[in-house]
Amino acid sequence: MIINHPLLGPRDAAEFVYLGDAALIDRPDWQAKDAAEQFHAYGYLRDNPAGTHQELWYHEQGDRSWLVVTRDTLTHEITDVQIARDVARSRGRSA
Amino acid sequence: MTQINRLGGGLVNQGQTLSFTFNGKQMQGHPGDTLASALLANGQLLVGRSFKYHRPRGIFTAGSEEPNALVHLRSGAHQEPNTRATVAELFDGLTATSQNHRGSLEFDLMATTDLLAPFLSAGFYYKTFMWPRAFWEKLYEPAIRMSAGLGRLSMQEDPDTYDKGYLHCDLLVIGAGPAGLGAALAAARSGARVILADEDFAPGGRLNAETLEIDGMAGRDWAAATIAELAAMDNVRLMTRTTVYGAYDHGTYGALERCTDHLANSGGKPRQILWRIYSKRAVLAAGATERPIAFGNNDRPGIMLAGAVRTYVNRYGVTPGQRMAVFTNNDDGWRTAADLAAKGVEVCAIIDTRDAPAVCDVPGARHIRNAGVVNTVGRKALRAITLTDGQVIPCDGLAVSGGWNPNVHLTCHQRGRPEWNESISAFVPAGDLPPGMAVAGAANGALTLGAALEQGRNVANAQIEDLGFTPSRDTPPRAEDEPHTGAPVWHIAASTKRAWLDLQNDVTVKDVKQSYREGFRSVEHMKRYTTLGMATDQGKTANIPALAIMAECTGKTIPETGTTMFRPPYTPVPLGALAGRARGREFRPYRLTPSHEWAKANGATFVEVGNWLRAQWFVRPGEKGWRDSVDREALQTRQTVGICDVTTLGKIDVQGRDAAAFLNKIYANGFAKLAVGRVRYGIMLREDGICYDDGTTARMSENHYVMTTTTANAVLVYRRMEFARQCLWPDMDVHLISTTDGWAQFAVAGPNSRKLLQKVVDPDHDLSNEGFPFMACGEVTVCGGTPARLFRISFSGEMAFEIAVPARYGNAMMGVLMEAGREFNAVPYGTEALGVMRIEKGHAAGNELDGRTTAYNLGLGRMVSSAKDCIGNTLSRRPEMNLPDAVKLVGFRPVDRTKKLIAGAHFISEGKEATMANDEGWISSVAYSPTLGHSIGLGFIKSGDTRIGEVVRAVSPVHKTEMRVEIVSPHFIDPEGERLRG
Amino acid sequence: MADFTLTATPPLAGYNRSFGSVSLKAPANLAIVSIALPLGGEAEAEKAIKSAFGIDLPEIGLFNAAQGETSMLMRLGSDLAFVLFPCETPDAEPRVAKKLKGAAYTTDQTDVWCALEISGTGSLAALERICMLDLHPDAFKVNAVARTVMEHMGAIIARTGEDTYLLLSASSSAKSFLHAIELSIENTA
Repeated sequence: MIINHPLLGPRDAAEFVYLGDAALIDRPDWQAKDAAEQFHAYGYLRDNPAGTHQELWYHEQGDRSWLVVTRDTLTHEITDVQIARDVARSRGRSA
Repeated sequence: MTQINRLGGGLVNQGQTLSFTFNGKQMQGHPGDTLASALLANGQLLVGRSFKYHRPRGIFTAGSEEPNALVHLRSGAHQEPNTRATVAELFDGLTATSQNHRGSLEFDLMATTDLLAPFLSAGFYYKTFMWPRAFWEKLYEPAIRMSAGLGRLSMQEDPDTYDKGYLHCDLLVIGAGPAGLGAALAAARSGARVILADEDFAPGGRLNAETLEIDGMAGRDWAAATIAELAAMDNVRLMTRTTVYGAYDHGTYGALERCTDHLANSGGKPRQILWRIYSKRAVLAAGATERPIAFGNNDRPGIMLAGAVRTYVNRYGVTPGQRMAVFTNNDDGWRTAADLAAKGVEVCAIIDTRDAPAVCDVPGARHIRNAGVVNTVGRKALRAITLTDGQVIPCDGLAVSGGWNPNVHLTCHQRGRPEWNESISAFVPAGDLPPGMAVAGAANGALTLGAALEQGRNVANAQIEDLGFTPSRDTPPRAEDEPHTGAPVWHIAASTKRAWLDLQNDVTVKDVKQSYREGFRSVEHMKRYTTLGMATDQGKTANIPALAIMAECTGKTIPETGTTMFRPPYTPVPLGALAGRARGREFRPYRLTPSHEWAKANGATFVEVGNWLRAQWFVRPGEKGWRDSVDREALQTRQTVGICDVTTLGKIDVQGRDAAAFLNKIYANGFAKLAVGRVRYGIMLREDGICYDDGTTARMSENHYVMTTTTANAVLVYRRMEFARQCLWPDMDVHLISTTDGWAQFAVAGPNSRKLLQKVVDPDHDLSNEGFPFMACGEVTVCGGTPARLFRISFSGEMAFEIAVPARYGNAMMGVLMEAGREFNAVPYGTEALGVMRIEKGHAAGNELDGRTTAYNLGLGRMVSSAKDCIGNTLSRRPEMNLPDAVKLVGFRPVDRTKKLIAGAHFISEGKEATMANDEGWISSVAYSPTLGHSIGLGFIKSGDTRIGEVVRAVSPVHKTEMRVEIVSPHFIDPEGERLRG
Repeated sequence: MADFTLTATPPLAGYNRSFGSVSLKAPANLAIVSIALPLGGEAEAEKAIKSAFGIDLPEIGLFNAAQGETSMLMRLGSDLAFVLFPCETPDAEPRVAKKLKGAAYTTDQTDVWCALEISGTGSLAALERICMLDLHPDAFKVNAVARTVMEHMGAIIARTGEDTYLLLSASSSAKSFLHAIELSIENTA
């Protein structure tokens, strides 16, 4: 597979390490009342769609950036690649 | 024997003669020949025995689709089985032997198998060798393996080398026939970066095999001129002897280049290269494969596909026989007759299944309409054919044409399904191609020359326009379209003898019908039940006729019946090529510690730790076994001082205004309040609360920490920290960079460690217990000004330091430390003594941090701060992970001190049965403690911390042993930690 | 006067070999210091870099060479750059830190890496065997730099001339890296 890195252009997936669902960005608040339940869902419950999936890839043999890649799990078509840090900020993770 | 079937002409250089042997027999050929063409030239029609029935077989095709002519090529360690003679390029001194027979090829002792054919029909394997069960491995399998099969391995290590490589292009053109050449030429003239790959050593495809013309030139001359033009262009990479074998994601293709297979000697260069080609667009111009018609005994040597006959006649100047017949259901077969006749070969008959007039005039040939071949005569060579009307025609060669199948294989590598094209009675690529791919020429169903040329050019132009290139306005090459109509006939129903579909796997029409009767009707089931379409040729000549037979049985159409899935590779790829350089010592890179050379010179035995080579122990004269060395190293360290290279531990430089806050998130215990100049031990949890790494982190300055990780997890910790930095806390100012390789770090441990270091560290640094207490750290200089970092940390339990110098000084530093330590009788120690001492001290390591244990299990539960958020904190508090009877890390010693504990043994209370239900825990680490003089262990047992002194059984069902062990503190030595603080 | 002296033995010190159309050598005394741009302080850091080295911080994927090409400043990530310069003594990092005056975070990387310079007309063919990046002159121009992987080893490749590339890889696996490059040259020679 080829991942079109937003900063570096197309790179072979062999340079990357896969993590999983981009929902892993949404780490719950440890002080929430139901923190245990939220962390349980965060840690263990995943959607496994046959189709479009937002997922985290790490450019380990590259610029060390984490990316959010939108990939079709049936065809491997990649329709969007974003810098995960930007995604995290847009999802309100700025402290 | 002379070349009795050599006609002359073609693309072989008859001015030069090459010698080769087949089954020890000396023969001759010419440059430009394949082994197959040379064998035919020499009149060697019988080249092998069939897979199951040991039937005599000859050469059936002239290309990579060959099912029959598989040989052992070369000899000794270089011998390669299952080489297709049809693509093996002839070289001087080539040796080939035939496969799959006992005794000689002519008198195969296994040929009696053919008489047993009634018992060996489809699925016989599954039905016959059922019982008794004990016979499966000992009797049935060896017997089957011996009688059935292909070639034999040399059983020696492959002496050749292989390589891999990476190529990039705008347009990849697969196949250098008319469509591919037209495509490559159009794209190249526009300025696009083009790779043109062709499996043949002579590009040109069918142009080399036909007598057709382009722009008034002979097709082969046009091909040669086009190739010369392409070869001269900087933006074109012409790759012959290169098979594009797979279409992968996002325009990536796999290709195998055969670099030295055509040479007598590789000259030390890689034999083959496995290329990964990154293309923006691709044109598949893979051509088409002719298909046979099934009739009785249609597998005899001398029966050949009609297009292949033209290849041998026109390209190689060889005729497969002296008196040829042609059997066809289409116009194309007629050209074979015409080309043979033009070369002066006798064509005795053209048998056309159609009731149609002659397609062309073939001097001397009888045209027999509306007829078919039902049987053939001649065991080791064809002697005659019998037609549907009963007449027998003597002949020594039969060219068969059942029409052409586009080579759609690569269009299907990403689950594309071809669609049926009624007009050519074949599957053609449908719309669901791999992204970026377009198909042109015969591969796309354009089976005539004019159409193929035009399509190649148009498809390539569309592809490169897509990429922003402007197609060139040159005059396109032109050619006529040759007659090509046909009427599908798959098998001659009047045949009563066995009619082969798959020559390689010995599958007949009857087998497919039987598969249908027994319920294996899906093509995928039929394939597996009959083995049709398996092995080296993957049924290139067999699949479609077999589908047609299955369609007849089921009463469905062929498109309704469907095809099996084509998967890579298109043609076989040797495992050696897939392995590339990754063999033996080159399987993976090695990482060497900075003191590697010193260790090598001082008796070290090395152990692989991940990619690292670490000194495991250092042998001294007189030591009889590893234990002698390890015991000495551990004892001497505890008695005086020992030195160990610990560079392999991961080192991560953490800097930033938020470095402290960040480490508080990463570590379960607090780091924000760690004073500058101090080190702290920390544990890291996964988000699920399991402990996954530990180590020390030193605060070098307000915003600068130096973290160490375990050797094994260095990469993983870094990765997870980057995840936390970028994805979880994206607005923290914190920066990470690995410095693992940058610093050579040595543990200097033992009561004399300070005294030793005082000789090495420059005197303006105070190393006294007051000036540099336990868990201190700082930047120092050594040996007169070389920068170094010093840490007062201990893994051994002794007073100990770790000293780090820039890695370039590491080897010298080891020597200096040993030299400075000479007066203290300092000892170098390896990873074994390191392990012994950490077990004696009760420190957890990888065996304890095994992905199942929590801080609570490790006895470190109180380190998990409840006052802050950190990764793993919340889930580590789940009640189920904090039960009172959870396993706890404790020490163990055998009640009978002479016994050796076994790592992995499980604990059972005394008086209870050794069952899973009574399992209370396990031993994780064991060592012989030279300090205590007996075996010791660390392990986990339920409520361990409250059971000190209790005796339990340590049971190892694997070793079939058990022993009584006493639960003790994990700190076998210096439980109060007085030594390390001294 | 210290009783002991330390001799530096970098893993590829002194390596220099010619293979016909390709030359391979280990540059001597090449110091490397990483520069991390503080979050929110990028502009200041860039200014400090400019005044420290006399060259601009380049875009990601490029390096800038100072006058006389004694220094290279390569941008490896949005917040990470490496500065390379000749330096015999093990004080590269404090030198750079001093020049940057606290405007960026610096870490000595000299001993983390080994360096090889491959040059000559056969360089590209040799690199095709181990480098998955597109090194075509139009795609990877002079002054391009990229971090990638070669033969399972992390590597940085910079095109320093038409037919010259600087390669960096982990110093601990320097010998394996050298072997991988040598073999690629031999296989394509």
